[in-house]
Amino acid sequence: MLKRSLGEKIFNIFNLLGMLIFTVIIVVPVLFVFRNSFELSETSTATLRLWPEQFSLVFYGMVIKDESVYRPLMNSVFVTIVGTPLTLLVNALGAYTMSKRELPGKNFFAYYMVIIPMLIGGGTIPGFLLIRALGMIDTLWAIIIPGLASGWNMTLIRNYYWSIPNELTESARIDGASEMTIFVKIILPLSKPVLSALGLLTGIGLWNTFYAAMIYIRTPSKWTFPVKIRETVVKNEGNDKLWEEMMIAAGLDPSELLINQAGLGGAMMVVSMLPILIVYPFLQKYFAGGIMVGSVKG
Amino acid sequence: MIYLMIVPGLILYYIFRYVTMPGIMIAFQEFTTGGFKYWCGFENFDKLFGLRAFWQAFRNTWVFIGLEYLFIKPSPIILALLLNEVRIMWFKKTVQTLSTLPNFLTWVVVSGIFIQLLSPSTGYVNAIIALLGGERIYFLGQAQIFPWLLTVIRVWRGVGYSSIIYLAALGGVDPELYEAAVIDGASRWKQTMYVTLPGIKNTIVVLLVFSFSGIMGGLFEPVFTLTDGNSLLDETAMVLDVYIYNTGIRQGKFSMSTTTGLFNSIISTILMLSANFASKYLTEDGRTII
Repeated sequence: MLKRSLGEKIFNIFNLLGMLIFTVIIVVPVLFVFRNSFELSETSTATLRLWPEQFSLVFYGMVIKDESVYRPLMNSVFVTIVGTPLTLLVNALGAYTMSKRELPGKNFFAYYMVIIPMLIGGGTIPGFLLIRALGMIDTLWAIIIPGLASGWNMTLIRNYYWSIPNELTESARIDGASEMTIFVKIILPLSKPVLSALGLLTGIGLWNTFYAAMIYIRTPSKWTFPVKIRETVVKNEGNDKLWEEMMIAAGLDPSELLINQAGLGGAMMVVSMLPILIVYPFLQKYFAGGIMVGSVKG
Repeated sequence: MIYLMIVPGLILYYIFRYVTMPGIMIAFQEFTTGGFKYWCGFENFDKLFGLRAFWQAFRNTWVFIGLEYLFIKPSPIILALLLNEVRIMWFKKTVQTLSTLPNFLTWVVVSGIFIQLLSPSTGYVNAIIALLGGERIYFLGQAQIFPWLLTVIRVWRGVGYSSIIYLAALGGVDPELYEAAVIDGASRWKQTMYVTLPGIKNTIVVLLVFSFSGIMGGLFEPVFTLTDGNSLLDETAMVLDVYIYNTGIRQGKFSMSTTTGLFNSIISTILMLSANFASKYLTEDGRTII
């Protein structure tokens, strides 16, 4: 077979070593935040340890007990759970109309949903004015509804519909099934791969919502979780008075302990990462299937 | 019946994309939080171009764009090329799996991770510096290093995910070409230069052209979450995206914000169309991308 020269062997070793270092650089920052979230005392924060010295779940307790943290968390859960199926429904339905090649006006849909909106957009302020006019300012609907329909997602789903053999739907049509029946009974079950992939991506997007919440949401109790995380990570560190109050609320003695002030922010970030880590293996499966290659653009 | 199914999508698009389109005209109006006052032609543009803060944001945005095309865009290509040379499959897969993950974390968490990691008192990086006997550095307090820092963080977040499409393209290169190259005595380096890179050139060009449509944007979340309006950093960190948010949403200057936004999209559109035109000379079939 292939004979490898000395130069190639050296390259291979350095390449593997480089990839190893690269992976460590990717992983260590995340592990560091995990450690922070479990580390109670400040004493070990200056070491290179990646596991906690004084293991504690006190910060996770704060996430659940502190109303100002818990509410935004629940808001993000709501936005994700309600928004994801609605998005899939709207786009899967629309994609079915788009998939009919013989239908008059099918080019219109592509222009209307993809090309024109890509070229002309109102921008931040017109969007804000519209949401205000609709009375959705300071409601979670302002985060869910504007993004429901997506021309890109419809196109992606449509392409998948096209890969479904015609014979499957033809025989049902001959038996007198309506388009809606064909859609629900045949097309949807067969489209599970593309819908799951898009569902996961949509869900992650909604769970991570930050910009829309910064524009449309004023009241802290209506914030999404990322907005609260940002506030906590940036503002709580070094604010000793606030920490004293929080420690007392958590049942700790402020005079006995220098608390790890990065802990609460760390715990919140871990809570935010967990759902993504959980669905990640499923997401990985779809990369391999090549379904997402078309969507990588964005 | 079949048309009915797309109606929800059409209506949503009409309301949230089309109703807001005429809103662009706010750039040519005196428009306050109270609503429309009067038409003022190009007055807003005149005013905007006279602002030092605007030009600062404009310049900073272009520094970030420069760094993006110099470092962030090529990084996934390099990663894909190097990963492609890894013959140990489980190792390759592990690196891919782990490096793709950060892309799915919200910028708030990514910034939060680095804020904690770089913290002068409790951060990991400074712990290493201190261990080596160096001075602790307040990384996020220095305007000069902010653009570089953000570039590193953007690479950290995106390089794995962006490399997927290039790896897919690499997989599509005809193996016979490699066999022929080997028979001709080409080294691995030569194979990379003369077989691999030309093989994925089209993918690179397509992605490059598309990337121009959003060239001026995409900076709000990374910059905003990392700086938290820290005015110490404005000198290098204030970009047009954040400027639009600050003037519009925070200060309620709707006209100025929209004017900046329109200016932004005009530049992106011109760039994308030029890139599309130029792509004719870069692709094999001599056709434009769009």
